[in-house]
Amino acid sequence: MHNRMIKRHDQPSILIHWFNAACWFFLLATGLGLISNPALQPIVQWWPKLMRDLFGGGAALLKVHIIVGVVWAGIWLIFIIAGIARYTLPFLKQIMTYKLPRDIQWMIKKNIQMTLGYKNMARMVKLLGWNGEIPDQGFYNAGQKAAAVGMIAGAVVLVVTGVIMAISKVYLSSAQTPLVQWSITIHYMAAAVTFGILLIHIYMAAISSEERPAFISMFTGEVPEEYARHHHKLWYEKVDI
Amino acid sequence: MEKKLAMVIDSFACIDCKACQAACKEANKVPKGQWRNWIKTPDVEAVAKNGKRMLFQPGNCMQCEKPTCVEACPTGATYKDPLDGTVRIDRRLCIGCGQCLPACPYGARYRHPELKVADKCDFCAERRSNGLEPACVSTCPNKARVFGDLNDSGSMVRKLLETGNAVQIVNNKSNTDPHIYYLGDPGAKDWPVKAQMPSAFAFWKNLAGPVMKGFVGLSALGVGAMLVKQFMMPNDTPNKKDEGGNKDA
Repeated sequence: MHNRMIKRHDQPSILIHWFNAACWFFLLATGLGLISNPALQPIVQWWPKLMRDLFGGGAALLKVHIIVGVVWAGIWLIFIIAGIARYTLPFLKQIMTYKLPRDIQWMIKKNIQMTLGYKNMARMVKLLGWNGEIPDQGFYNAGQKAAAVGMIAGAVVLVVTGVIMAISKVYLSSAQTPLVQWSITIHYMAAAVTFGILLIHIYMAAISSEERPAFISMFTGEVPEEYARHHHKLWYEKVDI
Repeated sequence: MEKKLAMVIDSFACIDCKACQAACKEANKVPKGQWRNWIKTPDVEAVAKNGKRMLFQPGNCMQCEKPTCVEACPTGATYKDPLDGTVRIDRRLCIGCGQCLPACPYGARYRHPELKVADKCDFCAERRSNGLEPACVSTCPNKARVFGDLNDSGSMVRKLLETGNAVQIVNNKSNTDPHIYYLGDPGAKDWPVKAQMPSAFAFWKNLAGPVMKGFVGLSALGVGAMLVKQFMMPNDTPNKKDEGGNKDA
């Protein structure tokens, strides 16, 4: 078959993706650096020290974390509002539309296939009375949709708790400090949840050979027809080529 | 060698004149309604009833060896100064979450109403950097407060401690090893208030921390499994009849 290229992402989507990725890594690195308490630091104790040496002390590290956080959330806010009809609503609709029997089957089958291979998957799902075929998916597969919901929920929690912490010293009274205290803990939890999702996302995109064309499309905007047909058939069938 | 700054306070010498409190407020611009130091006075009725005497007990941040306030701070905004052993607050890193306040059994901390960050005695760091003693020490008319470096064998505080008469006043359940020692008769050695870790902090440390590590660990395990599979089965493809997918699922 002639393997033509199909447009998958436009320029603004690609730009905001890599802007988001850069901010996310920066905020993750600096955020981990802010947790210098040994009872709370989840990775290694030298990380906060390294970050503080790099940015010139804890206060400077906090400042740069807040500034990048505000820029990240601000650019997103502009993108979300300016792109409400073109990007935001269609995207939200896409990631929140689930065809339940199909998507649940996809989730179970794909997870087994990704770790144990097609043959083992077919053998195992036979116990559930299913065949070994992985159900077709739309523009996003069920895993991508669930990950997107998790990332957005995590991002909203990170922004809300981040704002509360950032205004603590400006607007909040002593009576409101329990709000700040819980914001710190919840901010950490949301960051951990999104990081867990991010690990899978990065594996799929950058390491998994199956999804290599999707990774390349995050730069070029295009995927090969064969990839689209195999991985996103319901979308492929609707695309005008 | 680094210092270990401490105070030895003689309850016999204290006359509850409050000069130390006034001097502290003046030197450190402590806002209205807040204090960085205090003088605990005897319960007059109890003294009258059992005739047991207790003298005045001046206090301030004890610059503890094991500070529970530092343990409660996520970012290290409150920290133990490695050079002189005092417990300090980086006002620019502190976001005023207030978790260190209940973590101090002595109630030495308050949230500054204008700066909205934690504040407390730092043995007058500013005065010390200019070669002066803490304001409360300089101003005390009876010299009830003695200030110095415990690591300096010639210092007065060291000599007073070596008499063996000086006591710490601590809570048995949260002994922070305070660096304020008392002479004379400062009252009960058992401090009634226990250090409290705020619930948000305890939740993070005991539950959210391990659970989140578990979650990220599981995610990493999944990635690891996929990676292993990718190497073990590089040519993993669907059965021929599956080619083209399954629209009816």
